[in-house]
Amino acid sequence: MGAVHVAGGAVSDSPAQAVDDDDDANQLPGATATDVLEYLVKALVDDEDAVEVDVDEDRRGLRMQVRVGAGDMGRVIGRRGRIANAIRTVVRAAAAPDGVAVDVDFVD
Amino acid sequence: MEWVETTGRTVEEAKDAALDRLGVDERDAEFDVLEEARSGLFGRVRQEARVRARVRPDHPRPRVDRRERRRQGGESTPASAGNRPRAASSGRPGGGSGADSADAVDVAPRDDADDMLPAPSSEEQAEEARAFLDGLAAAFGLQGVSEVEIVDGDQIEARLVGDGLGLLIGPKGQTLAAVQDLTRAVVQRGPRRGGRMRVDVGGYQQRRREALVRFARQTAEQVKDSGVAVSMEPMPAYDRKVVHDTINDLAGVQSRSEGEEPRRQVLIMPDVPAD
Repeated sequence: MGAVHVAGGAVSDSPAQAVDDDDDANQLPGATATDVLEYLVKALVDDEDAVEVDVDEDRRGLRMQVRVGAGDMGRVIGRRGRIANAIRTVVRAAAAPDGVAVDVDFVD
Repeated sequence: MEWVETTGRTVEEAKDAALDRLGVDERDAEFDVLEEARSGLFGRVRQEARVRARVRPDHPRPRVDRRERRRQGGESTPASAGNRPRAASSGRPGGGSGADSADAVDVAPRDDADDMLPAPSSEEQAEEARAFLDGLAAAFGLQGVSEVEIVDGDQIEARLVGDGLGLLIGPKGQTLAAVQDLTRAVVQRGPRRGGRMRVDVGGYQQRRREALVRFARQTAEQVKDSGVAVSMEPMPAYDRKVVHDTINDLAGVQSRSEGEEPRRQVLIMPDVPAD
């Protein structure tokens, strides 16, 4: 399947972009994990609107890429990557019932 | 907040002992060195170092919560209305622009004007923790309700209760530990992390603590019977405090911590008759 793009707030204002042809986003494997990831990152940053989560699927599972506003990267990474790792742990837990492996990258 | 007084062969040792008693990380404590250690002949300790320490009181932290920011941003506009520049996302170069991404991680605290606002009270922070945990359970699609409590004046205890929360606990409580880190990070955003916060999910920490107390008591019995000291497994500061508190209430045994973090462990030993 192709990339699922779930930008901050984009689900409501541009449905065509949000999910390809599936009419129910919750049926996608890893939908819960994506929700959880987006929830966590938005709770941590100052600029919620700048949060973007991209989900791709490859052979190893789901690859989630997180982008945040300019000043917020430190918040989601944390000292020595502690917060980033905590986010990964929780997101993987959210994906566990779907039986999907998840990789979370923080990019800018 | 109470001061504890401890001694050690060096100031560092005395500080470590104090941190164990308080059950907090070094950055959450403040120290006074009362006496430096003095050594006598042949390196024998003539006088132990003595320090006093306490949990750093709730100082005005240079941070401000999101509600405050929004209020400043414009009272009438709801949270996410576009009064915040989106330039950050649209103007970003497509790929990784190396230099500033590396800098962003270790960026120094920004000294915004709003850093001067008073820190939110424990009650406000507790409420943020509660809202965060409720939202997290909802994002997981789990039925969980959180409750918060403030103990010892400023320690926040947040508990997510409900059935089927195992997913949020994880093997050996790893997911719960991550949830606690995240709750702290969300509630105590900003450069200075203050108060203490514990998060429990599905009563896991409580059961663990009770088991630890039972185990410490059993070990103490064993030490009393045999007269031989026993080292417990390495454990974090909070758990060591649980053990020290338990041993403190028992006659005939005493405890102290040894080793360096993260392999610091509690030693339970028989009381030495006072001379």
